[in-house]
Amino acid sequence: MTATDEHVHPRHRLFDVLQNPIRFSIAAALDKAEKLSFREVRDAIEVTDSALSKQVALLEQAGYLKVQKGFVGKMPRTTLALSAEGRTAWKAHLAALRDIAGD
Amino acid sequence: MSDENAQLSPVAARSLLEDARRISDRAHNAVRWPYITFLLALGLTTSMGTLGMAMTEGNAFGLVYVATLAAFFASIIFFLITTQGSLAFAWSKRWAIYIGAWLVPYLFAIGVMCFAHGSLPLAALASGLVFFVTFTAAIVEAKR
Repeated sequence: MTATDEHVHPRHRLFDVLQNPIRFSIAAALDKAEKLSFREVRDAIEVTDSALSKQVALLEQAGYLKVQKGFVGKMPRTTLALSAEGRTAWKAHLAALRDIAGD
Repeated sequence: MSDENAQLSPVAARSLLEDARRISDRAHNAVRWPYITFLLALGLTTSMGTLGMAMTEGNAFGLVYVATLAAFFASIIFFLITTQGSLAFAWSKRWAIYIGAWLVPYLFAIGVMCFAHGSLPLAALASGLVFFVTFTAAIVEAKR
């Protein structure tokens, strides 16, 4: 970090992709649980399937989310996990929030 | 930086941090309880079972043996049903350690039952170890 960086307000270190409430909640749900099914994330953050699908696609495009599609028996199952990049961004985003909060 | 960031107050930031913690805990807890329950059930079943079998003979031994097996398989079935479709705790090195840590005192307890049948101090020690190990594993799992 340079001397200039030290004086940058922490809000500049927030990640725009994670500003959306649903995307923020998805990242939060996957933080500790590490890997969850689509259904488990949907239930944890209380959104509709379509709303979750849309935001999952955006997070995946941003490279923050790993999405795996498979089958359990004959039932399709989608698995969600934060990518390494996503996890780094999430931690940096939380750190910036903590700085803004003055913690 | 978006415009909304420029307006983010310390209070709003604290609120977001609290939301993140709450959602993270809720998602984790929702998929974690079957694993903790299984570890406790495994410990309780096998420790009480080995203690009972080490201290009984004849019909009583048979009853304890059958009850232990029934409870053990019930735990396994419960575990398989409740974790079906859940991915949060796929088999991992951590679980290999839990099961390995349970297996060592369990085999010791079986040894006590076979070679020191009727010895209350040894049976209590071995069965106590079985429960202690699984209880510790459950605490570790709960705190993750």
